[in-house]
Amino acid sequence: MSQPEILNQAFELGFTYTRSTGPVVGRFLTELKNRRIVGIKASDSRVVVPPMEYDPDTAEELSEFVEVGEQGEIVSFAWVKEPREAHPMDVPFAWAMIKLDGADVPMIHCVAAASEGDVKTGARVRAVWADETIGFITDIRCFELV
Amino acid sequence: MANLAAVVGIGQTKYTTKRTDVSIAGLVREAAVNALKDADLGWDDIDAVIIGKAPDMFEGVIMPEIYLTDALGCNGKPMLRVHTAGSVGGSTALVAASHVQSGTFKRVLTVAFEKQSESNAMWALSNPQPFSTHLNAGAGGYFAPIIREYMRRSNAPYDVGIKVAVKDRLHGARNPLAHLQKPDITMKEVEESFMLWDPIRFLESCPSSDGACAMIIANEELAEQAPKSPAWIRGGAMRSEPTMFAGRDEVNPQAGRDCAADVFQQAGITDPRKELDVAEVYVPFSWYEPMWLENLGFAPVGEGWKLTMDGATSLIDGGDIPWNPSGGVLSSNPIGASGMIRFAEAARQVRGDAGDHQVAGAKLALGHAYGGGAQFFSMWVVGSEKP
Repeated sequence: MSQPEILNQAFELGFTYTRSTGPVVGRFLTELKNRRIVGIKASDSRVVVPPMEYDPDTAEELSEFVEVGEQGEIVSFAWVKEPREAHPMDVPFAWAMIKLDGADVPMIHCVAAASEGDVKTGARVRAVWADETIGFITDIRCFELV
Repeated sequence: MANLAAVVGIGQTKYTTKRTDVSIAGLVREAAVNALKDADLGWDDIDAVIIGKAPDMFEGVIMPEIYLTDALGCNGKPMLRVHTAGSVGGSTALVAASHVQSGTFKRVLTVAFEKQSESNAMWALSNPQPFSTHLNAGAGGYFAPIIREYMRRSNAPYDVGIKVAVKDRLHGARNPLAHLQKPDITMKEVEESFMLWDPIRFLESCPSSDGACAMIIANEELAEQAPKSPAWIRGGAMRSEPTMFAGRDEVNPQAGRDCAADVFQQAGITDPRKELDVAEVYVPFSWYEPMWLENLGFAPVGEGWKLTMDGATSLIDGGDIPWNPSGGVLSSNPIGASGMIRFAEAARQVRGDAGDHQVAGAKLALGHAYGGGAQFFSMWVVGSEKP
């Protein structure tokens, strides 16, 4: 028996949004444009990267920015064997939690590596900047193994 | 028997078109900090946070409550999100109050917000659907035919809506937090403003605002220790009905009538116009004032517009039942917060803390919100005296 024809219609729903990033995330993004990475000092002296607006323990406003290094180490990672269109790289790469030098918590970014075996907890990485920086997280194109 | 609860702190932001200087977190934070200051309390004094906003699609931040815990001092505490479309600010306050009335928490912070400058509220309210013509209607387009039907049924003069638009903007000019500041507005100016959704003119419509409103609600023992007068919650009710069903009366929705009957019964009110001193009612399009005057029982069906035209709802004209002395939704509309602003402004009135838009000697006030296709209702009655 043949399948009945199913009624269908192409349908796309989309909206445009604007973001006001505020004084803390806004500063982080502006510093990226200048090829610098900043975190913020929390009440217990930990340096949090990317910076957060309010202290996770006391809820007080945070304002003490701290520049951290472009290099750091991999805390944990996931290897992407078959990148899809939405991924930042078209060759196999790693998503990684990277603790930058001078930071106390890791941030997520992508790591370029020739093979899965090269990526390890504790491996040293360094930021690779985009040719043109515009104040987006993608100003750091990726991290590469040192 | 529920325990008593009262508003002990109120905080708002200045309503405006764009708050580009703050993130969404910074905006809600500002209202919450203002409420804590008003109550002379700190983050540690709060047991839980109850937050509300309109659909996530507005700003495109899915489940924003999760990212707002830091900003609201809620790490390690319960964070609860409420969502009932435009009435959400009201229902959020009621959910917060019920957590105190039940004895679950002693003192809660409740916050509602909208950052319309980051959002796409117009189209998020008017999604295209497959196999249908896209009306591009928005909220005004949805309510316009309902308003026209009210005009037909009531035979009201054509300028009732114009009068409400002027009255609420003159009220708003007395409230420094109000978004629109139009102290010189005239009937002629409103009448000549362009027809946005026939029969709703541009100046008969609410603005699009950024803003947040917060309240602290405490149990009886803590409310009695509060440094400023508490606003005692004398009744609270919510009702819902589907957007569309055969026989639904969209001009005078059953859910609104039932909700009003419930909240007035709890507060021991039989004649709201006579017994209440002031009402803050959700009027985003001017004609909703006469419509809700009837729906809430302040006037017989078909006669709400007479109160408006007689100046009964005007603070400036010395009316006996001022509606929206703060300027109402017609003067400020951060959608998700608008209902809570009505509830908070009712509380400010009975605390005697409403500044230049204070109704002299107000002891009993109604806060009202509606949402969706006028299908979600939330209301509370607050008083200066304990029930």
